[in-house]
Amino acid sequence: MVNEYDLIIIGAGGVGLAGGMYSARLGLKTLILGHSHGSELPIGGVITTTNLVENYPGFTKLTGTEIAEKIEAHTRSYDKVTIKEELVKEIKKSKSEFSVKTEKETYKGKTILFATGTKWRKLEITGSKEFENKGVNYCALCDGPLFKNKIVAVIGGSDSATKDALVLAEHAKKVYIIYRGKEIHPEPINLERVKSNKKIEIINNTNLTQVKGEKFVTSIILDKPYKNSKELKLDGIFVAIGHIVLSDLAKSLGVKTNKAGEIIIDHKTSETNLSGVFAAGDVTDKEFKQLITGVADGCTAAYYAYEYISKKRL
Amino acid sequence: MKAFLQERKIKFEDFDVSKNKKSAQEMINKSGQMGVPVIDIDGRIIVGFNEGELKKALKLK
Repeated sequence: MVNEYDLIIIGAGGVGLAGGMYSARLGLKTLILGHSHGSELPIGGVITTTNLVENYPGFTKLTGTEIAEKIEAHTRSYDKVTIKEELVKEIKKSKSEFSVKTEKETYKGKTILFATGTKWRKLEITGSKEFENKGVNYCALCDGPLFKNKIVAVIGGSDSATKDALVLAEHAKKVYIIYRGKEIHPEPINLERVKSNKKIEIINNTNLTQVKGEKFVTSIILDKPYKNSKELKLDGIFVAIGHIVLSDLAKSLGVKTNKAGEIIIDHKTSETNLSGVFAAGDVTDKEFKQLITGVADGCTAAYYAYEYISKKRL
Repeated sequence: MKAFLQERKIKFEDFDVSKNKKSAQEMINKSGQMGVPVIDIDGRIIVGFNEGELKKALKLK
């Protein structure tokens, strides 16, 4: 009985925590397993690496860590929820329940919610692995302060890349944004911010081919000249070229994914192709991925998990 | 990370390298890299939150 739950949520980011909060409200005994699938992020997930969150109703402006802590505290306020930092090794289905094995214990769940999120896509060019964390970094918020008064570049053209550049401009003396496409494509408010920031310079239509350095990064090589040179001297690059979905565990259970590896869900119920198995947040095939949309899907999944259990009288 | 140590009642000193330039340089020199967090356990340097390594260094089960 101790290790038996109505709902087991795999992933303790904002989405998993919100799903747990809602399932507890519906009276479901809920287990949330964090650090579950290799994302190497703390409880609260990827939002903890965002400097400013300005698109979550009720909070005009707060940091990613602050909102993660608020969501976690809200979830923990329900006695029906248990949060454990354990890595899930295996998940199996038996007749009417699921067996979730971690490095420490085996748990039984009537329903499952995958909220495993994503991890950073790594840059794969000459020198990028050799200099990882030696000037090739992925978390601007975490490691940006170490580049005080230095020259850095953000690689990528998304809204996340642009926000990284704005964070880095608070520390570095110069920030390049290098994007392979025609023009960077952040949200208009952030485009305006980078364009008016004198420290930030945008280089479009350009790829990196090599990272060079000795102990730490000293320059990068571009595929076309910028200001008459293919070599750009700098102290570090921050890679923001997208994410890889963490859906392997779900796939091992027989959950269907699309070509990008995203879990295919019913966009009304958040249920996967397997009955009683749900998914929400960045790991799914929903197109618009924000904390606010993921949180909503997590709560939706919790509601339909409750419906599933009620109808089956489990 | 801090929660891991606090839960096990292990005393530690916390340096915020985003605010303390001297600590930031010391971290880079000791670990030879520029990623956080870094933990120094009696001279043994661990980069990132690596529970297995932490347990080994602290002789925990």
